[in-house]
Amino acid sequence: MMSAREDILNAIRAQRVRSTERPKSYIPPAPAADPVAAFAEHATAVNADVRILNDAGEIPAAVADLLRGKNIPAEIHIALDAPTMDVGPLALKRTPPGPDDAALTTAPFGIAETGTLAYPASAQNPASWHFRPGFEIVVLKASDIVANMETVIARVKAKGLPHTLNFVTGPSRTGDIEQTLELGAHGPKALAILIVRE
Amino acid sequence: MNQSPRDFPAASKAALADESLKTALGRLKTHFGANRALAIERFGGDWEALREQGRATRDFALTHLDTLLEQFERAVTARGGHVHWARDAKEAREVVLGILKDAGAKTVTKGKSMVSEEIALNPFLEANGMIPVETDLGEYIIQLRKEPPSHIIAPAFHLHKEQVAQTFRAAHTTLDAARNLDERQALVSEARQLLRAQFEAADAGITGANFLTAEEGAAIIVTNEGNGDLTRLLPKTHIVLTGIEKVCADLNDAAVLLRLLTRSATGQDISSYVSVMLGPSDGDGPKNFHVVLVDNGRSRLIGGEAEEVLRCIRCSACLNHCPIYGAVGGHAYGATYPGPIGAALNPGMLGVANAAHLANASTFCGRCAEVCPVKIPLPAIMRHWRAREHASGLAPKSFVAGLGLWAFFAKRPALYRTATGIAARVLKVIGRKGHIAALPLPRGWFAVRDLPAPQGRTFHEMWKAR
Repeated sequence: MMSAREDILNAIRAQRVRSTERPKSYIPPAPAADPVAAFAEHATAVNADVRILNDAGEIPAAVADLLRGKNIPAEIHIALDAPTMDVGPLALKRTPPGPDDAALTTAPFGIAETGTLAYPASAQNPASWHFRPGFEIVVLKASDIVANMETVIARVKAKGLPHTLNFVTGPSRTGDIEQTLELGAHGPKALAILIVRE
Repeated sequence: MNQSPRDFPAASKAALADESLKTALGRLKTHFGANRALAIERFGGDWEALREQGRATRDFALTHLDTLLEQFERAVTARGGHVHWARDAKEAREVVLGILKDAGAKTVTKGKSMVSEEIALNPFLEANGMIPVETDLGEYIIQLRKEPPSHIIAPAFHLHKEQVAQTFRAAHTTLDAARNLDERQALVSEARQLLRAQFEAADAGITGANFLTAEEGAAIIVTNEGNGDLTRLLPKTHIVLTGIEKVCADLNDAAVLLRLLTRSATGQDISSYVSVMLGPSDGDGPKNFHVVLVDNGRSRLIGGEAEEVLRCIRCSACLNHCPIYGAVGGHAYGATYPGPIGAALNPGMLGVANAAHLANASTFCGRCAEVCPVKIPLPAIMRHWRAREHASGLAPKSFVAGLGLWAFFAKRPALYRTATGIAARVLKVIGRKGHIAALPLPRGWFAVRDLPAPQGRTFHEMWKAR
C-alpha cells in the first residue's frame, strides 16, 4: 500500500493540467512621511500608547509613568536572559509575567507600513512574553523602524531563522461577541511603545 | 441545527424566521462590510494590483503544489520538526491522536482551525480520552454550546451577548452566580482568566495555519486574541493541522497574501498577531513541533473546473457580502464552510451527491467574486456544480420538470413566441392592478413578493414594432 504522502503527491501530479509563472512581487509604496511618524500613526490607530523619547535615559521615568497611569504596582518583569535595563525605583522581576503583570521588552524591528513590532524569538527575547503579560511596554529604537514586512523577513533570514517570528500590532483584541471590539482577549490588555530617538 | 447540506431548503426556511439571527446578520454590512471598504480606501497602494498579485501567487502555488509541499517538508524536518500526511478526515484524526499519545498528552488547548472542524476532531479526541479546549473566544463559546461555527472567522457570529452570558453561567459553575455579565468586557475577562489556567496546564496545543511557506518551512497564523500563540508556546508539544493547499513559495509571498487577508476579513491593515512558526524550541516554546497536512478531497480538485476554489485564503469576504448568507446565516448550509465559498468548495470535498445542492443557494449577483481578494470566479464554479448536479439526475424533480418544459418551448421559436404572447396577455388580465400577488405554481416565490404584471405584449413583439 502506498503511503498517504505518495498518494497525495501522485494525485496532484496526475491531475495537474497547467503551469503558471511565479509573479513579480507587488509591494505597496513606502509611506512618504518620516517612517517614525508613519509608525506612530499606525500603531496609535490600533490602540497602542506611543511615546517618543530623546534618549534611553528617559526610559525609567516613562515606564514608571505608564504603570502609574494604569494603577499597576510599581514592578516590572524583564526576561532573565535579556540585558538588564535601568528601571529606576521600580521593583525588577525576572520571572515570566502573569496575565495582570507588566513586562518590559525590546523590539528589534518596527514596521512603518502598519505600526507593527517584529520579534525573532531568542533567549533574550522569549516569544511567550508578548502574550503572557497584561501590559507590555516595548522599547524600539527609531533607527530600527523599516518600511515593510519584507525588509524584516530579509534581515531575519540573513541572520538565521528563529523557532518563532512574531509580528505584533497593538494590544490583544477580539470581535467575537457581537462583532464589537474588546481589548485584552488573551494577550496584553494594553501595549505601550517607547520609541527612542538616539 | 442543520447536519447536512441536503437539508438546506428546510434549514434556510427556519433560519429566515429566526429574529435573533436576523439582528446578528445585520452586522455583516455595518461591521465586516463597512470595515473592509474603509480598509481598502485607506490602503496606500493599488488594491487591484495587489489582488492580481494574490491571484497569481496562489495560482503559482497550486500549479507547483507537489514540489512546494516536498520543499516545505524538507525545511521543517531540517529544523527538527515532523511532517505528517493524511488522505482523509479519518486518517487526519488518527494521525493527531497518535502524536498526542506519543507525547503522553491528555489536555489539549486549541487555536482556531477550520480543518479541525472539517475533520470533526474534538468529538474523536474526547472519545479517546483526551480533553480538547477551544481557546479562540468564539470557538470556546460554541464548544460550550456544542454548536458548529456559523462563520469562518467569527464562529459565534450568530449569538448575542446575553446568550453568551447564559452559556458562561451554565458552564462556569465555580464562579459567583451573582456576578455581573451584562457587558461584553466582563465576558472577555472571564474567558481570559479561565483559559489562562488551561494554557498553563495543557500538555499539547493544536493550531491551524493561514499559510505555509515552502522555502522556510514556516506555518503562519493570523490572530487577534493571542490564543494561538499561547496554544503554541506554553505546552511541550505543538501540532499544526492544516490543508495541503495552504502552502505558498516563501515568506514574501505570504506577506502579499497577508495584506489581502486581514483587509478582506475584518478590515484591519494587519491583525494584532501574525506568528511565523518555524520549528521546536530549546527554551521558551514547544519542544516538539508537528505539521499535519490534510488532503480530504483537495487534491481531487486539481486540474478540474473548480481548481480555482483552492486559491481561497478563508477571509470570509464572500460570506459578508452575500445576500443569501446574509439572510440565512451559516448553520443552514449544514457544512463546515458556509456561504459562496462553501457552495463552491463543499461539492468538491464532500461530493456532488452530498453538497452540489448548495450551489443553488445563490442569486448569481456576483458580489462574492468582486470582493474575493484572490479573484476566485465563485459564480462560475457554482454554475459548474449546478450543471454536475443536473447531469447526475440529482436536481429536484420540480426543477428538472420546469427546466424541461422551458427547453421544449425554447427550442421551437414559433411555438415559443405564440406561447409567450398568450401568457403575457393572460397575465395582463390577471394583473389588472399592475402587479400579480399569486399564481398557482411558484407559491413559495409569491409568498414574499409580487410580480409586476406584463403590459400585454412580449419583448419580441415590441422589438419588431420599433
